[in-house]
Amino acid sequence: MKTTKTIFQDGNHKWVAIVRDPDRPDFLIDTNEYLVTHGSQGLLLDPGGAEIFPAVFSALSSEFDPLALIGVFASHQDPDTCSSLALWLEFNPKMRCYVSWMWAGFIPHFGGSAETFVSIPDEGADIPLDGLTLRAVPAHYLHSSGNFHLYDKAARMLFSGDVGAALLPAGESGLFVEDFDAHIRHAEGFHRRWMGSNEAKRAWCERVSKLEIDMLCPQHGAIYQGADVQRFINWFDELQVGLCGG
Amino acid sequence: MAWAQQARNDLLRIVRINEEIKAIVGVAFKINIMALNAIFLAKRAGTAARGFGVLSHELRVFSQDLRDSMVGLTRLIHACVSEVSHVLQDIRQTRLLHQAVESSRDRRLVEVLAERESRNAEHAQHLIVLRKQLKRALDDAFQLVELGGMLAKSAKIEAAYGQSFAASLAQVSGEFDGVVEEIRTSLEALRRSAFFTGR
Ligand SMILES: [Fe+2]
Ligand SMILES: [Fe+2]
Repeated sequence: MKTTKTIFQDGNHKWVAIVRDPDRPDFLIDTNEYLVTHGSQGLLLDPGGAEIFPAVFSALSSEFDPLALIGVFASHQDPDTCSSLALWLEFNPKMRCYVSWMWAGFIPHFGGSAETFVSIPDEGADIPLDGLTLRAVPAHYLHSSGNFHLYDKAARMLFSGDVGAALLPAGESGLFVEDFDAHIRHAEGFHRRWMGSNEAKRAWCERVSKLEIDMLCPQHGAIYQGADVQRFINWFDELQVGLCGG
Repeated sequence: MAWAQQARNDLLRIVRINEEIKAIVGVAFKINIMALNAIFLAKRAGTAARGFGVLSHELRVFSQDLRDSMVGLTRLIHACVSEVSHVLQDIRQTRLLHQAVESSRDRRLVEVLAERESRNAEHAQHLIVLRKQLKRALDDAFQLVELGGMLAKSAKIEAAYGQSFAASLAQVSGEFDGVVEEIRTSLEALRRSAFFTGR
């Protein structure tokens, strides 16, 4: 089973990271799922792949009533972000899936019906959560061509999908980035190869620099907090991406 | 686990049956042309081949019945493939839900699993029905082909009375008999497929 860690809390407004599954087979990339709760509702960010559904479900349900989930937010269409959708819907068929309009016709291959999907237009959208407003922030081409991050202004938290992701070596499983320079080495190759557009990256850096962010939470690897958030944005701004060794 | 193995075997077997039926459909098409050829030949032979002429019309009807029967078989096979695929998907979903039930304290998941299992049972039941239908359709096709074989053999006998046309009538009816025999052998093997016996 995965472990849960509350990384932000203000009353019943919470961000819970669901991380580090000791039973996960090595051939599956490790993922972080995030649960945002406010009032009586919850939204699960990048619910993960089908194979890790049992681990995510049990960790989440130890912390929050899964029937109170209004839906999932899929940053993009990759299987590691949302191929568990069919299983979540078996549990709660009323759940919605917020996703870029580009993938609204593709993700149903993982499950769901016409009512399940809420398309996000390219410019982004507000997602209401029991009185709280979350914002889907455009991050197109980073790496997916239809890609969104999720910003919670009140909590000053940004879920950044594959941006900020690091493929950590075995043994390095800290939830937060401790030593930025050491950590970023595990992120560099991934960003160069997976991120497709320098222009899109530039625009994203500019966009998120204007946001007040205490924690930048990627789908893989460790969370950047405090000064490391801006440090990451600056590092990313300078990195040349869209490069392939072959 | 045994359930999963069974479903994987089923999929392999039904795919093999489908390939075999596709081959027979090709042959059945050939039979239609052969029957037309036989009718044409009987006409040219005139009164000398009256018996052959009657049989060649029967053969034409047979070739059409055979094609209809193959259409029906193909439809059933596709339904079986689709149902076996459902079962394979059920197996994965059920495995993951089982794991979730084991590791979670949320007891409502038990109900979700129970619902899932009742849907699995529906799929399994539907597959049983389809399996029976396909077996029956194969048996019917086999009987039809046996009838076709008898017609072809009678045509071979009738060909001997064809006087100057005897040789060509014998050739046509011989070819017909050969092809029907080929189909008969294929269908006989299909009726014994492990898809029906489960072994
Ligand atoms: Fe991705
Ligand atoms: Fe990812």
